[in-house]
Amino acid sequence: MNTEICEKIKGMLVENLRIPEDELEYDSELFGDDIGLDSIDSIEIIAGIDSLFGVQMTGAARENFKSIETLAKYVEEHQGE
Amino acid sequence: MSNMTGRVVVTGLGLVCALGDNTEQCWSAAVNGVTGIREVKSVNTDNCYANVGAEVKLENAQLSGEDYDRSSLLCIKAAGEALADAGYQVTDENSDRIGVIVGNCVGGAASIDKYFTDEFKNNNADTADILKMPASAIANNVAFHFGLNGLTANIVNACAAGTISLSYAADLIRAGKADAFVAGGSDSFSSLAFAGFHALHALDENSCSPFNRSSGITLGEGAGVLIIESYEHAKARGAKIYCEVLGSGVSSDAHHITAPRPDGQGQMLAITRAIANSGLSANDIDYINAHGTGTAKNDEAEFLSLHTLFDGNDHLSVSSTKSMTGHCLGAAGSIEAVLTVKAVCENAVPPTIGYTDENLEALKEKAGAIDFVPNVKREKTVNFAASNSFAFGGNNASIVFAKEPRDIPDRTNSDRIFVTGIGELCGKPRVEISSDDYKEHGIKMAFYRKLDRFSQLQLISGMRALADAGITISEDNEKDIGIIIGTADGPMTEIVGFQKNVIENGTASGSAFSFPNTVYNAAGGYLSIFAGIKGYNVTDANGIQAGLQSVCYAADVIRNGDERIMAASGTDENTDVTDYLYSKTGLLCDTKPYSLDKGGFATGEGSVSLILENENSANSRNAKKYAELVGWASTHKSVEFGKLTGSESALKKAIEQACGCAGISPKDVDAVCGFANGHKAVDSLELGVYREVFGEVPVFCVKEEIGEARAAASAKQAAFAAKLLSGAADGSQKAYVITADSIEEKTVDKNEIGGYKYILAASFGVGGAYSAVLLKKVGA
Repeated sequence: MNTEICEKIKGMLVENLRIPEDELEYDSELFGDDIGLDSIDSIEIIAGIDSLFGVQMTGAARENFKSIETLAKYVEEHQGE
Repeated sequence: MSNMTGRVVVTGLGLVCALGDNTEQCWSAAVNGVTGIREVKSVNTDNCYANVGAEVKLENAQLSGEDYDRSSLLCIKAAGEALADAGYQVTDENSDRIGVIVGNCVGGAASIDKYFTDEFKNNNADTADILKMPASAIANNVAFHFGLNGLTANIVNACAAGTISLSYAADLIRAGKADAFVAGGSDSFSSLAFAGFHALHALDENSCSPFNRSSGITLGEGAGVLIIESYEHAKARGAKIYCEVLGSGVSSDAHHITAPRPDGQGQMLAITRAIANSGLSANDIDYINAHGTGTAKNDEAEFLSLHTLFDGNDHLSVSSTKSMTGHCLGAAGSIEAVLTVKAVCENAVPPTIGYTDENLEALKEKAGAIDFVPNVKREKTVNFAASNSFAFGGNNASIVFAKEPRDIPDRTNSDRIFVTGIGELCGKPRVEISSDDYKEHGIKMAFYRKLDRFSQLQLISGMRALADAGITISEDNEKDIGIIIGTADGPMTEIVGFQKNVIENGTASGSAFSFPNTVYNAAGGYLSIFAGIKGYNVTDANGIQAGLQSVCYAADVIRNGDERIMAASGTDENTDVTDYLYSKTGLLCDTKPYSLDKGGFATGEGSVSLILENENSANSRNAKKYAELVGWASTHKSVEFGKLTGSESALKKAIEQACGCAGISPKDVDAVCGFANGHKAVDSLELGVYREVFGEVPVFCVKEEIGEARAAASAKQAAFAAKLLSGAADGSQKAYVITADSIEEKTVDKNEIGGYKYILAASFGVGGAYSAVLLKKVGA
């Protein structure tokens, strides 16, 4: 797990999606009942990941959006493509 | 029961949109299937996947001569045509019987864009643009331009606003509160809306294709204005009559902040209310101008609603003129109302354009018995026509027009009205909101994290008021409860944040997360979604007094028989953004009320909600009653937006009318909850009028504690009056006793307060809007 990428993604989620920082862990389920992200939020995540890392997530499989960890893994695997 | 004396008619039409500069040009294009959709000129669409829109060809200076925001100028253009068409001569004698109600979505978005672009690129913004930013300016600008002195309101319910404005105007005329209204809607093209719908991937790459490809909307701009008038007044002045305005219906989805309910239930409630309130059945309707935006979600839900309600109707035509005008947001409902009135008068239904031969085959399979009027107009007799509008926030509205007079049901409810709940959240300069405030009402983080500041304040005060009233929403009452929210500045922080990002990073970088909160009615939407409220739902942006006007409006809705319980709120936020904007206007300084030596005030923020309930409802559930609402009035005397001096007569009239409702003289009023904020012009105007109408009276100043919290403060004035009358306000209170030649601070003790029978609350909006409500002690 790349902590630096995770931390940047977490900062983006806190800033752009108003998720309280203290309720967000790297393995928190983003689209579950607690955080409750939805389709509009996923548009914002795609835009945020593109802006932070230049990685395109449009059309990426749903499981990549599960948590900060899975997002970071996707970014690591696709950076520089 | 018969209500033929409540006939309301259309006597003038005005229209400007991408189809033309006046009603005849627009109608000719619409009925002949000519599109107004072209490449966008006024917004930079670099890096956007779509670049078409339906813009008005006229530049600002060609619309009207004033230095106003484009939304106001478009509305003045259409209102001028409508007044001339109606042959309406405005005189000193009749000007206070004709008001202005404008529907709007993006407010002064074009001016917000200009101001922050100038600041970002040139560090040289024009402070004159700040007054053009709030939607509150629009109706007041129109009224000032034409010298109209009847009630003003800006209905800011996004894409349903232009239909709700007509509904409210007709209801007020039936209630005898005006002879006529300049009623309609207006919105300018804006980078705000373009970037927002682009971020949501809700724009069609090509021209929108409602009930067809349904792959997104095309944005438009324009204004539609109707002169809506009582039949007696129209007849007396020999006016030509286009058609009748029958019933209307307003409802909430209580589902999602942007998407409509897939089962269409909210839409169907608005449509069935409109038809029932017209004394008609679904089989009577000949034509529906559909909302028909062209998004998959809207079109699927509306298809379902129309089939469910009208499948037994073998002569119904349905079309979406948005296929030609684009989606003009807050103007859409009014532009479509003008085209619907023309359809009734001309016996011709404008088409939905954009169908290929292949599309026509697909349409045949899903249209059933409904005629979707593809590509070519339908010539037929149109006796009864409806226009639908559905909006972000889950707001739905429908209104019916008829060729001939029709006896419509009188649903007036003359029950007494009580304040049965109060929820407050106010502070100077800011309110602290913690997660405990949400937990108190079971609001989870997944819900509240979506809310901008304005919506946070509104949701908490609304839920507190419902809890205080002991009201739990269930299937049994969800349609009997409605919401009116008043605001001066709306969600300005979210709007400015969204806009600055677009200015700095381009139209393609708009935030999908933020955009839904930039509409003024999002806060009311969130409240209805969380609480499950499915009835009436309107947000009115009309300056500081809007929180008190919301009480008047809510009382009118109950009196009209539309709902038995209403939440009436006033809400305004105070953030770094609003602080910055107010500081630029040079108005900020903390001054004591009635000191009459400075030109400023200290801002506060908050939200205050009052639950109003008719007596039968309150008694049936043994509700606690804070006070009885015995009088209410909203008035207007046109002065330039941003000014107040010269509008004293409207405050006097509001007080006299509110007292008149209760059959008392202003001299019978025991105390006033006043609106002084420390600004010399405001305080001296209030003092002068109170001296004239009351003689001597104690005045309580809530703004001393919460600052100029604008609409929250004006709603709090009513809430405070109710609490004083019920004994819920603890201990003694500080008041300013106003006499003919003095102002004396006095501590009023509990015994004296306990002897009060009537307390009046009054407030003002720049541009000359006033509201007053009169509360009476229960059982006195």
